[in-house]
Amino acid sequence: MIQFVNVSKKYGPDVTALENVNFQIERSEFVFLVGPTGSGKTTIFRLLMRDLKPTTGSILVDDWDLGKLPKNKVPHLRRKVGVVFQDLKLLMDRTVSENIMLPLQIAGIADTAARKKAEEILLDVGLVNKQNKFPLQLSGGERQRVAIARALIFEPQLILADEPTGNLDLETSLQILDLLESINTLRGTTIFMATHNSEIIDRTHKRVITMFKGSIKEDKQGKGKSSAHRNTEEKSSENKDLEDKKE
Amino acid sequence: MHLKTVGKYIRRSPYQSLAAVLIMILTMFMISIFSILTILSIRLIDYFEQSPQLTLFFKEEAKVDQIMNIKEQYESTGKISSIKYVSKEDALKIYNKLFEKENPILLDLVTSDVLPASIEIQAQKAEHLEELAGMVEGNELIDSIAYQKDIIDTFISWVNVFKTIGIAVIGVLVVTAILVILSIIAFKIVVRRDEIEIMKLIGATNWFVRTPFIFEGMFYGFVGAIVGWFLSLGILFYATPFIQSSLKGIPIFPIPTILLAEVLVGQIILACILGAFASFLAVLRYLK
Repeated sequence: MIQFVNVSKKYGPDVTALENVNFQIERSEFVFLVGPTGSGKTTIFRLLMRDLKPTTGSILVDDWDLGKLPKNKVPHLRRKVGVVFQDLKLLMDRTVSENIMLPLQIAGIADTAARKKAEEILLDVGLVNKQNKFPLQLSGGERQRVAIARALIFEPQLILADEPTGNLDLETSLQILDLLESINTLRGTTIFMATHNSEIIDRTHKRVITMFKGSIKEDKQGKGKSSAHRNTEEKSSENKDLEDKKE
Repeated sequence: MHLKTVGKYIRRSPYQSLAAVLIMILTMFMISIFSILTILSIRLIDYFEQSPQLTLFFKEEAKVDQIMNIKEQYESTGKISSIKYVSKEDALKIYNKLFEKENPILLDLVTSDVLPASIEIQAQKAEHLEELAGMVEGNELIDSIAYQKDIIDTFISWVNVFKTIGIAVIGVLVVTAILVILSIIAFKIVVRRDEIEIMKLIGATNWFVRTPFIFEGMFYGFVGAIVGWFLSLGILFYATPFIQSSLKGIPIFPIPTILLAEVLVGQIILACILGAFASFLAVLRYLK
């Protein structure tokens, strides 16, 4: 799903944000990205959204080679990848429903169909009764759910979540994590989540990529793979067996 | 979707929107007035050109039978559509009629003796005027010859001066309108920078973000054109009796409705293009 090959990113000649980063994330995997401030987590996310281009190396998201992706294709990529931003990036003068509908409207989908889809997603994230509220009328956890709902609206195969529990208490953080895990399990969506919250990481036993000063310090495989990930792996191994038998 | 967004952008910063509409109204009002005056001047010139006229003024000593003799010579050419003898007494009547309201004191100072007798000749075609005037060239009875052509030429030169000034004023107003709308749209882009960034991050194309701003500029142009046209039309109707009395029966009114409608349509198109152009410059500069 995601492949970083020898990726480096420099801001100007002196500042190196990433240095020769290599990793691969399979379809339906749930992976944490951790590391101190300035370790390069946000740069990785910005590269994955093609908000930045790598200085060297190549980044593949599904079939898209982000280094070679023409500018006019960037909006298409962003509609395929759901992003939950660190600062949420909700439009405060629009209701919950309007915020969630926005990506669909941007894609040219009619208001009625967009509203229907938004209601379905709001049901999934448990916010259907808040659809006419403005973000400022919601709690932190509810706002986070709105951001997740907006990221889900296109039913993307990949969700990038940049510190989605950053400003939340543990209980709410765990609720958000549950939501992301259920999305991963039920929909088979690949989740790549940056976090500082060690309690969350410890509880889930997922794969953790640890960044330090722009390089990968550790890539620790998780103990418990999600059922969706297991299904995907099983399918690919079955396919491999079939191919072997054919040969 | 885009129209809703335009409505929202206008509602959220009403004073800037009002400024944009007002500058557009002023510009379009001036263009409208200029267009109507141009139409009137063309109709006036057409009127004069279609009624070629020559006036022969006779000296004091010219006798009526001598004048009548000349009149008969003209009638025999077959190149005139009408000819009229205006005696000294008739001239006095015309004079009195002209000045009885404006300056009655002048009436006491003028008698029929100081006014010349004349012949007013209406030629069938404008090109005959020179030949008809040549018939009495060197005639001792003739004091002066007044050509309609001279009047038209003078009028056309005035119209040209008016056109040059009008175009210059409109040019300045158009540039001002473009700069004002550009600044207002640029301001709105800067104010909505966060919203634009969010839209782009969730997959909006550049044109999705730009289109409402361009529509907004077109909206200002559209409103400016309609209001400017109605204002100028109001002034035209208000001034019609005055202009008509000044022109002393020259039939340039009413201006056909279809012509006024064409001015409106032309203005709407021009104003929308202007608004869109100004907004386009703003989005190119501030929405890279």
